[in-house]
Amino acid sequence: MSSSPTDASIVAVSMPQMGISVAEGTILEWRKRPGDWVEADETICDVSTDKVDVEIPSPASGRLERILVEPGETVSVGTPLAEVDTAAAPGEAHPEESPEAHRAEPPEVDRSRFYSPVVRRVAEEHGIDLEQVEGTGVGGRVRKVDLMHFLENGAAKKERGEPEVREERPLHTESPYQGEPQPAASAEDLIGPTRRERMSPMREQIARHMLDSRRNSAHCTTIVEVDFSRVADQRQDLRETMARRGVNLTYLAFVAREAVAALERHPVLNASLDGEEIVYHDQVNLGIAVALENGLIVPVIRQAERLSLEGLAAAIGDLATRAREKRLHPDEVQGGTFTITNPGQFGAVLATPIINQPQVAILDLEAIVKRAVVVERDGDEAIAIRPMSYLCMSWDHRALDGAEAARFLAEMRTGLEEGGSA
Amino acid sequence: MAEMTYLEAISDALRTEMRRDESVFCLGEDIGAFGGAFKVTDGFAEEFGADRVLDTPLAENAIVGAATGAAIEGMRPVCEMQFADFIACGFDQLVNVAAKLHYRQGVAVPMVVRLPSGGGFSGGPFHSQNPEAWFLQAPGLKVLTPATAGDAKGLLASAIRDPNPVCFLEHKGLYRHVRGEVPEGEYTVPIGEARVAREGLEMTVIAYGSSVHLALEAAEQLDEDIEVIDLRTLCPLDSEAILSSARKTGKVLIAHEATRACGAGAEVAGLIGEEAFEDLDAPVRRLTTPDVPIPFSPPLEHAVLPQLEDMKEACRELLAY
Repeated sequence: MSSSPTDASIVAVSMPQMGISVAEGTILEWRKRPGDWVEADETICDVSTDKVDVEIPSPASGRLERILVEPGETVSVGTPLAEVDTAAAPGEAHPEESPEAHRAEPPEVDRSRFYSPVVRRVAEEHGIDLEQVEGTGVGGRVRKVDLMHFLENGAAKKERGEPEVREERPLHTESPYQGEPQPAASAEDLIGPTRRERMSPMREQIARHMLDSRRNSAHCTTIVEVDFSRVADQRQDLRETMARRGVNLTYLAFVAREAVAALERHPVLNASLDGEEIVYHDQVNLGIAVALENGLIVPVIRQAERLSLEGLAAAIGDLATRAREKRLHPDEVQGGTFTITNPGQFGAVLATPIINQPQVAILDLEAIVKRAVVVERDGDEAIAIRPMSYLCMSWDHRALDGAEAARFLAEMRTGLEEGGSA
Repeated sequence: MAEMTYLEAISDALRTEMRRDESVFCLGEDIGAFGGAFKVTDGFAEEFGADRVLDTPLAENAIVGAATGAAIEGMRPVCEMQFADFIACGFDQLVNVAAKLHYRQGVAVPMVVRLPSGGGFSGGPFHSQNPEAWFLQAPGLKVLTPATAGDAKGLLASAIRDPNPVCFLEHKGLYRHVRGEVPEGEYTVPIGEARVAREGLEMTVIAYGSSVHLALEAAEQLDEDIEVIDLRTLCPLDSEAILSSARKTGKVLIAHEATRACGAGAEVAGLIGEEAFEDLDAPVRRLTTPDVPIPFSPPLEHAVLPQLEDMKEACRELLAY
């Protein structure tokens, strides 16, 4: 028998305050289950906020006594998520493992999503979406009678509006093993075996944001071609020095530096739209899109105009690393005024990115590839092999026009090809 | 038609068949002069003579063995085990000899073993068992479990006329408590056909023997749309009747007084799971005696055997599922 926990020995694990902007979080997964031993600061569960996914550490060593919030539930900051019994000793039997606990009435489980074989079969034969059927069985289960009532009321008989090709079979007595009808081949049949998976909270957010952006902004994409020869040379010169200082100098850093400089000359691109007003920002808060295993996150370099080339390279490296390790602070993924995305690192040569709302433009650095180009020196023209890339920028035609976008990109090109800001 | 008890119906079937066919005879412990422990053969010795109502030694293997020999020679013996529990002593002759003779040598063994079974009267562990599942594992035997007076008569007559060894389980609790209309004279009920004892749509109770009466009583008291299937025969099992009712209601409770593990209910549940899966709306449940010996102590026995309240609770749970 274990000693029963006292109030004094119970420590609550609460939804932490993760930056000023985060009000709530969703439990993704419990790494521990009740009865498990946890060390202080050991990760006890994963939480998703509308900004980032974070790992929640245990505030104390002890035994995980109870889980109060199930995966998928969203609760506000400060809500107790679990209780840890600090008076417990490792290896001790958990109270739930005692015979008394087994005799306790089990809590009613939500079984509204469990469908019995007959319910599944009848629903399939009649093309019924079971989510529409109210369940009156144990735990909200949809019983056969619930489905029959639903059918009798005719609510969803022709829900899909398709002509009924199959003959309706009597529901009560027929076995599914008699007289198999030959249904007409549907698109679903032809597509072959499939697998369904619920979107992750991050995926859902990306989907929502991208659709909103497409709906709200007048997207337009302008593209310029840039010769990266000078940048390549300069990168070669500086690379080792910076590497010694722990900074990885990427082409992206050069592009970021030129973009920040150009933004200062074109404030309408470092702006947001708020209803009928254009909001100009004094600071350049530069968002850098970071591809994650199952999504995308855009950490922000605040006041990028204050940073040198090396400072930008260091900031990009730091944010990308922490983004992949899920160690970003929620405040670090908002407040951006302009965004750069870099699918070029994966080999893409052209894209039309979607604007990160409420900003008005997003710049896309594509792959730098060697191309044969016409060069001119002292009035002579020649064909040369040069590291080339496209800068693609999607911008909001509500806030600016094509000439402005083209001028902005042309200035960036000049800066990158001839040396300007860096 | 005549109203009689389950016990009188068994006597009536025996008497009628013995009058009809001279090759039918009875043998068992104290069945002659004493008329049997439960008086099934009361008066038989006077009517048919000691040669056809044989008092035997207390030796079940000898009773079953002698019956098997007589059956091979063309007689139709009906042996009585004083209590079904005692068939254990005659097991070898029954399951290894009688059950397999037709398979091994093409020889018919038309015999009946009457087995007074069941508890509820403080008979203790040796006089209360429901051993029907033992025989279900011995291919070659038929197993009958009537619940009503009419079926007791009709099925016993069919068993006597059947060319195979038949185990005929008579629940002692039904002997004098169950009465019913029974056709007079020669009357048979076909072996292998279940009976719909009560029609319903919401759920099915599949039962046999004493549990049929519990199920009917529970259905009445609950006043719910419950179907009750009386299996009547456990081997051969009426799979068509079982599956048809399971498909109709989608919810099945199987009830028997015999213990749970590998009982007839397990076989029925397996059949439903294999053949009617897509028509099920709930897990197939069983109401049985737990896997324990039957206690002598009345309160303990009451606690162990399925009671009316248990049946009602099991039905309520399944109806609500």
